[in-house]
Amino acid sequence: MIIRIDEYSDVPIYMQIRNQIVMGISSGELKAGEQLPTVRALALEIGINTMTVSKTYQMLKNEGYIMTDRKNGARVRENIEQSGVISDDNKTELRRIVSEARISGVPKSELKKLIDEFY
Amino acid sequence: MPWLIKLIMFICVVPAALLMFFIAFPANPSKRKMIFGVRDNPKFHEGDAEARFNSIAGSCRKGALIITVIVCIMSIVLLFLPTNGMTMLAWILLVYGLFLVAVPFGKGNVELKNLKKELGITKSGVTYTDLTNTNTIHSLKLPWLILPNAIAFITAAVSFLIDLGVIKVDVACEQYALTMMGLSFLFIAVILIPIAIMMDNTRNIVISKDSNINANYNRAKKKTWADLMVSMSWANALFLVGYSILLMFVNSEIVVLCGVLIYTVIIMVIVGIGAFNQKSIEKRYARDTELELLDDDDYWVFGMFYNNPNDTRLNVEKRFGYGGTINVAHPAGKVIMVITFLLLVGMLIFVAYLAATGQMNDLKAGINIPGLTN
Repeated sequence: MIIRIDEYSDVPIYMQIRNQIVMGISSGELKAGEQLPTVRALALEIGINTMTVSKTYQMLKNEGYIMTDRKNGARVRENIEQSGVISDDNKTELRRIVSEARISGVPKSELKKLIDEFY
Repeated sequence: MPWLIKLIMFICVVPAALLMFFIAFPANPSKRKMIFGVRDNPKFHEGDAEARFNSIAGSCRKGALIITVIVCIMSIVLLFLPTNGMTMLAWILLVYGLFLVAVPFGKGNVELKNLKKELGITKSGVTYTDLTNTNTIHSLKLPWLILPNAIAFITAAVSFLIDLGVIKVDVACEQYALTMMGLSFLFIAVILIPIAIMMDNTRNIVISKDSNINANYNRAKKKTWADLMVSMSWANALFLVGYSILLMFVNSEIVVLCGVLIYTVIIMVIVGIGAFNQKSIEKRYARDTELELLDDDDYWVFGMFYNNPNDTRLNVEKRFGYGGTINVAHPAGKVIMVITFLLLVGMLIFVAYLAATGQMNDLKAGINIPGLTN
């Protein structure tokens, strides 16, 4: 799985990594139980501080996407808890996207098509 | 055999000067991915910018050509001059003179960066990382690297024990000649091991969205490096063993110098094969055009020194030439840089001191092995 990091983006690097790992899990690029690189290895590979990667992994762990242990490092969770609801943060984000699309004149059908494509 | 020393210096200096010129200053720069350490950009080849680009590349090439021609002519002149302290000093200064091509290179780098600003080329800070291949692509087999260097170490240790008289063997050469030679070769071995490990741990480059292609590309590149380092280690070790045995029976200046000559040629051939293989890999694997290119030109000072405080890596791939370089902004990079600088300046001062005190004349043939000088 390829991760794209933009150092000039407004989104912090730890968040960029987090978002792409979540997208990878969702799309199936990262399979359940798949081993993730160690904090140190990933930090070295990207050329960032280990604390940044550590923060990402901690966040993903708290959100229930990955599990970590001293022996096996980080892995994608086999059974990710399915709450069936969209979080408030995501609702706000979705609202922003829909609003921007509406202002830009993107038809609703186009948005629905995109949702179908990404889902 | 002064002519042999001169021949060795000639073989080292002239091809190095020509190689540096042809690699760093191509006749057709627009076909290169990098020019003077600046990544090529389509905007360089549009309208008036193209003329500016060609003018910068042309003037820097001209400057480098003058330096290269002077170095080559001086090498030829020195080849025919009698060997004495002053000509030896001139040869060593000529080796330092090779670095003068860095001046037009750096000038070209600065001018192209200015051109980028004038053309309003915006920076891209995008980097790609292949999560699947992180820390899994290695080609260096450590035993194959350690074994030859261990042989070199044992040989040097045995030579030292022979010179100390702990091991009783009658040797033809003078005392400590074997130890001096052993230490010289061991020094190379000590340098090769960390470089090999460092190159095997360099960051994997993402050239495609397909992880398998990335894995193959990076594995192939690292294998070339590993093969180069292992081959050099074996050449170093086997040469040391053979040479030590030879010196036990023969005390001849011509044998010493012929050995150095053969060793130089072998190392140059190994490096040449490595560079060729690396180039073949680059030709075989094309970069996916959909992937954005990271614009980190500003972190490459004069296109040669990587100074990026935001990058935590110590070693990165070079922009000019073949191999890797260090991140000067890294704490360890700073230390390495200072040591390298002090070594280069120290050697120059030492050579100048030898020349000033007239001791350069004594070096004539026995440069590395004083015990062999008759």
